[in-house]
Amino acid sequence: MKLLEFEAKEIFNRYGIPIPEGVVINSPDELSGQLNKFSDEVVVKSQVDVGGRGKAGGIIITTKADAVEAARHLFSLPIKGLIPKAILVEEKLPIEHEYYVSITIDRTTRQPMILFAETGGVDIEETARTRPEALRRAGFSPLLPDVPGYLMRRILGTAPKTLGPVINNLYKAFSASDALLAEINPLVTTPKGVFAADAKLIIDDNALIRQGITANRDLTPREREAEENGFSYVELDGSIGVIGNGAGLTMSTLDLIAHYDGKAANFLDVGGGAGRERVMKAVRLVAGMPDVKVIVVNLLGGITRCDEVAKGIIDAGIDQHVITRLAGTNEDEGKALLAENGYQMLETMEAVVKQAVKEAAA
Amino acid sequence: MIYGDHNTGIIVQGATGNQGAFHINLMNQYARETGGRGVVAGVTPGKGGRDVHGVPVYDSVREAMAEHDATTSVLFVPGFAAGDSIMEAADAGLELVVAITEGIPVHDTMRALAFARMEGCTVIGPNCPGILSPGELKLGIMPPHLATPGEVGIISRSGTLTYEVINELTRAGIGQSTVVGIGGDPVIGQTFTEVLERFESDPQTKAVVLIGEVGGNLEEEGANSTDLPLVTYIAGISAPPEKRMGHAGAIIEGGEGDAVSKIARLRRLGIPVAEKPSDIPALVRELV
Repeated sequence: MKLLEFEAKEIFNRYGIPIPEGVVINSPDELSGQLNKFSDEVVVKSQVDVGGRGKAGGIIITTKADAVEAARHLFSLPIKGLIPKAILVEEKLPIEHEYYVSITIDRTTRQPMILFAETGGVDIEETARTRPEALRRAGFSPLLPDVPGYLMRRILGTAPKTLGPVINNLYKAFSASDALLAEINPLVTTPKGVFAADAKLIIDDNALIRQGITANRDLTPREREAEENGFSYVELDGSIGVIGNGAGLTMSTLDLIAHYDGKAANFLDVGGGAGRERVMKAVRLVAGMPDVKVIVVNLLGGITRCDEVAKGIIDAGIDQHVITRLAGTNEDEGKALLAENGYQMLETMEAVVKQAVKEAAA
Repeated sequence: MIYGDHNTGIIVQGATGNQGAFHINLMNQYARETGGRGVVAGVTPGKGGRDVHGVPVYDSVREAMAEHDATTSVLFVPGFAAGDSIMEAADAGLELVVAITEGIPVHDTMRALAFARMEGCTVIGPNCPGILSPGELKLGIMPPHLATPGEVGIISRSGTLTYEVINELTRAGIGQSTVVGIGGDPVIGQTFTEVLERFESDPQTKAVVLIGEVGGNLEEEGANSTDLPLVTYIAGISAPPEKRMGHAGAIIEGGEGDAVSKIARLRRLGIPVAEKPSDIPALVRELV
């Protein structure tokens, strides 16, 4: 789950990373009473979870006198379709230089990896593309409590040594927060010291409970319902509903639909042990999407009981047609049950997908 | 037979949970059918002294190993405790851990893998269906009745999609040497490259099917590392970027790892890429 900038900054600050003086407001009026914190110019920043916020007008540098007006403007300005629920107002830093630093997990070496560039800021992606050598990378063992000194020297090169402790603290925050990504861009030097001018933190969804986060708010209501039932679920924009067991098989079913020029409405992996109740809930969830015309159920596994799956589909009692490919035990009973209730069971996933594409197009 | 044979003694960690108990029974059914030793002991901290389907349960891996001859663990321990259990197995001296568990925090996996490597312990998974050498050995949860012994190896990041491919190959009369599910998480123990190394020194295996997914570049790395004849299939060509399709590993990050460019890179290496699972048998036939 992605955290918002102010949430990430709070966590970074807890690990000793200096952040600019600032306040978080939920309406423009909340700001006026808190402006005495600031001396002169302020930065007003929309708290939306999308990239390219600055270029889309979501960050305004202004005087204290005009700050409330700027906040009012940002509360009504959608950034890539998103209206902010909160705005962060910060002192404007006297920036001397901008750096880039992030820590992520390298799949190949199975280690944390630090990325650092001596020129940070909004153009970092462009830098990564045109001058990849400007982005220094260094991986190290996840069993080490700190970034080793030799590695820090290699990362920093001629950049100021004062960045070192901040980068080490970023690693501590990354590690303790179960982060998939911890990023400061820009990391800035000022006459007052080093500051994280922006902050990005993505928490591993498998560790949300341990991190004390109870609701993954990146989800739509239907996605949340799916999560509560233990389904992996993603909404797409076609008319063929898809239910499978196992991420790979379900993805492959989606690909096959695309291969035959159909459009899938969703991805739903029911997970292991697809019993009657779970199948019923999955079928109802998918049938509840307004555009779904037909539903494909593709379940394969040694321990899947086809008669139970069939009963779950029938229990769901939905309007749309359901076409199934079930492989497991009691296949014949399942097939008979489905046929009695007007549903179809076919031999292969290809047959099921072709039939569904045909029905969706009709 | 690249990770063990019918003589392999198995310990199940997380033996008394639903999953663990259920699959101890299935693994031992298969061991009886194939003349293997199967699961010789179970481990659940605090549940020592019980038995699960006739298999004795111990409090720790060390206690189990003191009483039984075992080299391999199959792990069903829940997510938050699984990283610790991998380290316990490595510390006790097991050679191989097959981590079936789904939902392990990735930092735990990363630390457990680094620790296991120091102890010289090989890890498969996590979030994987395990290993099946048809007629010889089953480590994990793959349904063995779909498989038939033969000369084609399979390495896959998926579970049920692997069964689909086994099924397609068996129906086409093509048997399998060993099927390895390496797991769907972003950080896993054995990758395509390392499993391919084992297949290279396996006289039974004449060709290998790689089943990949969107995300990362482990498939290309593996394909580039071997001289074995390969057929690949990549799931997720229709996956939208930044959406996680079930597997934590199957997310396209920053334009890297999407299926289209992954397939293009594999084709540039001269490796046949099946457009759909049912095309795999024909492509394998061209190789062997």
